[in-house]
Parts: sequence; C-alpha cells; structure tokens
Amino acid sequence: MKKKKHAGVERLKSRYGLMFVTPFIIGLILFFVFPLISSVQYMFSRIRFEPGNTVITWTGLKNIKYVLFEDPHFINNVVKGFSTFAYSFPLILVVSLVMAIILVQDFKGRVLFRGISFMTVIIASGVVIEYVLKYQGADITGAGVETSIMEDMIDVESILTVLGLPTQISKYFQVVLSSIMTVIWNSGIQTLLFISGLQAIPDQMYEVSKVEGATKWEEFWFVTFPMLSKILVLVSAFTVVELFTSKTDRVVSSAYTMMQSQNYHESTAMLWVYFLILGIVIALIYIPFNKYCLKRWE
Amino acid sequence: MKSLLKRKKFFFRKSDKVKVQREASAVKRYTRSKVGNVFYFLFLGAFGLFSVLPLIYCVTSSFKPLDEIMIFPPRLVVVVRPTFENYLSLPNLLSNLKIPLSRYVSNSLFVSIITTALYVFISTMAAFVLAKGNLKGSKTVFMIIQFALLYTSYTLAVPQYLVFSNLKMIDTYWVYILPYLASTMGVFLMKQYIDGYVPNALMEAAEIDGAGYFRIFFKIIIPIVKPCLLTLTLFGFRDVWSAVPQGTIFSEQLKTLPQVMAQITSGGIARSGSAMAVTVIMMIPPILVYIISQSNVVEAMSSAGIKE
Repeated sequence: MKKKKHAGVERLKSRYGLMFVTPFIIGLILFFVFPLISSVQYMFSRIRFEPGNTVITWTGLKNIKYVLFEDPHFINNVVKGFSTFAYSFPLILVVSLVMAIILVQDFKGRVLFRGISFMTVIIASGVVIEYVLKYQGADITGAGVETSIMEDMIDVESILTVLGLPTQISKYFQVVLSSIMTVIWNSGIQTLLFISGLQAIPDQMYEVSKVEGATKWEEFWFVTFPMLSKILVLVSAFTVVELFTSKTDRVVSSAYTMMQSQNYHESTAMLWVYFLILGIVIALIYIPFNKYCLKRWE
Repeated sequence: MKSLLKRKKFFFRKSDKVKVQREASAVKRYTRSKVGNVFYFLFLGAFGLFSVLPLIYCVTSSFKPLDEIMIFPPRLVVVVRPTFENYLSLPNLLSNLKIPLSRYVSNSLFVSIITTALYVFISTMAAFVLAKGNLKGSKTVFMIIQFALLYTSYTLAVPQYLVFSNLKMIDTYWVYILPYLASTMGVFLMKQYIDGYVPNALMEAAEIDGAGYFRIFFKIIIPIVKPCLLTLTLFGFRDVWSAVPQGTIFSEQLKTLPQVMAQITSGGIARSGSAMAVTVIMMIPPILVYIISQSNVVEAMSSAGIKE
C-alpha cells in the first residue's frame, strides 16, 4: 500500500517519531544486530571462557573445515533434514490449503473448527508442545520422535505386531502416522495465511468464471490458485523457516547440545554453514519457480 | 444491498468490509455436491481428531494413577479411578529444591505479564513510526526486521549472554524481559496492519482538529489496531510463557515454570503422571488468553498476510 506524503503531519512526526521508535531500535541493536555480528566473528575464531573475561582468538577457517570435513554427523544430519523437508513441505502446504478452503466456507461448527485449528498454533510452541508431541508420538505413532518417558513405558511396535502386521508394514505405518502428526501440528499458521489469501480474492473473479462456464476444477486451477501465488510464496518461505529452524531439526539440535558443552565456535560455524547451504538450495528452488510459474500467472 | 449502503459512507472500518465480503463469498462458494461434502467433513474430522487427541490424552493422563497410565494398549479417554494425586504430589516433588511451587508460578506470571505488556507497547509504537512516519532509515530498519524473522535464536544465545554479562544483568529478571524488546515478529505484524487499516486521511483530520502526536497514537491508532494488539498479546504471552533462558539464570528463586517442568519430567517413568500434570498447568494460561482475545485474533492474523 502506497503512502501519501503530508507535509504537516510529517513535520510533527519527525520530532516525536524518533522518540517512539528508540526503545525498539535499542533493543534491536543490543539483542540482534550486535549478537549477529559477533556470531560471524565466532565462526572464524575460538572462544574460551576464563574467570572474569572471555578470550577470543582468531583461527581462520578452522571451524568451518571441522564442520565440513571432520564432524562425523554433520553431513548425515543435513541429508536427514532435507529428506524430512522433502516430504513434509508439500504435505504441509497441501493440507493447510485444503483446510483453508474448507474453513473459509460457511457451515455449521465453523467457529469450532477454526478454534481447533488455531488452538494448535497456540499450544504448538516451546516446551509444552515438545512434551505433548512426545507423549502423543509414543502413544499413537511411536516413530520419528526422540526418546521420551512414554516411549520407555509403551512399546508401540508390539501394538502393531499384536495386530498381526509384518514388520516392514508396521514400520511404514509408524513413519506415516508420525509424519501426519508433524504435518497437522505444523500447519496452523499456514492455514491462517491461506484463509487471508482466499478472502482477498475478489468475488467478481468467481462470477466471471461461472458465467464463462468453468467447472469447479478449472475454477480452482485458473482462478483460486493463481490468485494465491503471492501468499503461496509467503507461506512457503514461512514453512521452510519453521521446518529448518525448529529444535526438532537435527543440525539445530546437535548445535544446541554442542553449545551446552561450551563448544560455541564450532556450533556457531555449524549453524552458519547450514544456513548457507539452506539459502543456496532454497534459491535453486525459488528462482526457477519464480521465473516459470509466477511470471506466467501475473 | 447492505454492502452497497455501507460503501456509500465516506469512511468505514475495513473489518466491516472484510465481514461483508466473507458473508458474500460464503454464500457463493457453498454449492458443492454431496460427495464433496462427505470428503470435506472427513478431512475436517481427521484434522480435528489429530489436533485434539494429544490434548485430551494429556488431560486425562494427568488424572490417572500411575498403574493406569502404563496400561497396554493405552486408553485415551476413559479414566477408571480418577485421582488428583499427580497434582497434589507436585509440591512434594519440588521440596528438595527448597523453593515452593507457588514461587515458580508467580515468577512465571510476573515475567510473562510484564514482558508481554512491554513487548506489545513497544512494538506498536515502533510499528506506528515505521508505517506512518518518514524517518530516515526506516526502510533499513524494516529490512533488518525481515531478516531477523528468518533467524534462529540459538546462534545468538552466546553473544546475548555476553551482552547481558556486560550489562551486569546475569541472574536477574531483566534476562527474561529485555530480549523481547528486539522481538521483530510483533513490529512486522503491526506494521502490516497499520499500513492496511489506518488511512492517512484520518490522521490528517485528527491533526487539523488539533490532536498532538500522543493523542493521535492513543486515541486513533490504538482503537483501530485493537485486533492486532490482542493477537500480539496472545503470541507474546505464548512465547514468553514457554521461554527457557539459556544459561543466564542460576538462582533457584528466579526460575520459571518451564525450567522446573524440565526438572520434573527428567525424573523418569515414576514421574510421568506429574509430568502430565505440569504440562496441563502449562497449557492453561495461553488457552485462557486465547479465549479472552479469541474473536479478534483470526481477523488480525488474516490481515497480516494480504500485503507483502
């Protein structure tokens, strides 16, 4: 949305505006910009905590070399992260889009279902969700989660063998069920964003398509989907960030454990290398998508 | 007809328009075959089931005695011998820490309420200026904000620790409160909302009528952005409530519920009932805040996505 310039209001604003924005700017510099810059510095150096002060010594590319060539788990974790991404990303997008298309319509109990879909957003953060999902994971799905108390208690594999399924199939079931869980619990905000996108589509478009005699299927692909393209980009960016920065991601969690054992330089280097790889891969996906799909829709 | 009448007014709140649109679109798109209906409701049912089941299971398990939690196969809803033991034993579990449970709860509430209030207020002020003021460098600030949105907090843990230790703030309440001054999600959402919903003409009119900067902010901006304010409150509260500071809090009397929760749940199988009980306690406040602000939240979230 474009802003108009109004001389009088602007003069007033410049005087007080600075005052209004100052607390946030101070916070931003102290707790984001400065830490960000020092984390780049840590990537190339070695940190030791001595009583009273912190010693930072320059070591060049040593940390990055360690992460790429010596760390036994890094490459493996990256591959695992991307394979999780490969199946959950399209699933999350499809599920949340379908949910949004359903929830944008009027039916009995819409408020209830909207409430439920938003409830997952509220609870799906921080410590609580970790426990909820861990328990749930051990209870119904049993696969794909780290060890939890419940997993020690209930042996899910035996539930499936009691049902008389061969091991291969029961393994498959576990993986499918656990990924359904992850998908549903991660698609709350995406659903909301899609709902907003759907509501922004002007009704005339649908009227025109109806007059032209389009079927529902054609209406979806030629009206709804192209009109959602911008929101689609936003949602995919959000999903990518959410999937790769959550603590369930293996690289992030291993960096976290390294950090707890005071291995700051290598874990920082690890996260930076990971994000660089991530950025390259996303750019490789996004640029062709932008060139061949978005341009055609506009 | 109704919508036409509304459109004739010179100025109307955009939310009215959205509502009208929504009504119209709902009537229009609700023409589906029966097969389609069945499919939709199956999908909804499955979605609802998977979202609600963990919560129900959590709540019911917190009322189960230990032997019943371990029943194989697990019962989801039925509790044969309901008991409050899991809740009642919580204070005893913590007795070796020399600090009563109420202290942690009050710490949590204190920190969450103060931080959320400050966070919402500061981000609204900053967003107002970024959206409507023409400060030099506000574009740069907004760029930084967008970059910060994509950034994980773990990388920043150590440098933030150093900032705190230089400010001599390690092991104080400030550790909980101050990082949220830099939380960019709030400013981002609020700026998008103000951009979309506060017309310049309105501010101009207020200025001609002699309203000062503060008056414009409190009497015009705040009422209009109320839905977004409530959304920010909800999100802020949710995040602060479950936040665990990393290596910056050492004294037991300053710790909050999530930290204690981790201690309880690490106690092994015998503690699983109590772990469930703490989980339920942890879930209650965000849900309460949600119920209070419920009607406004979805609207504000949905407005945030429209503009890029």
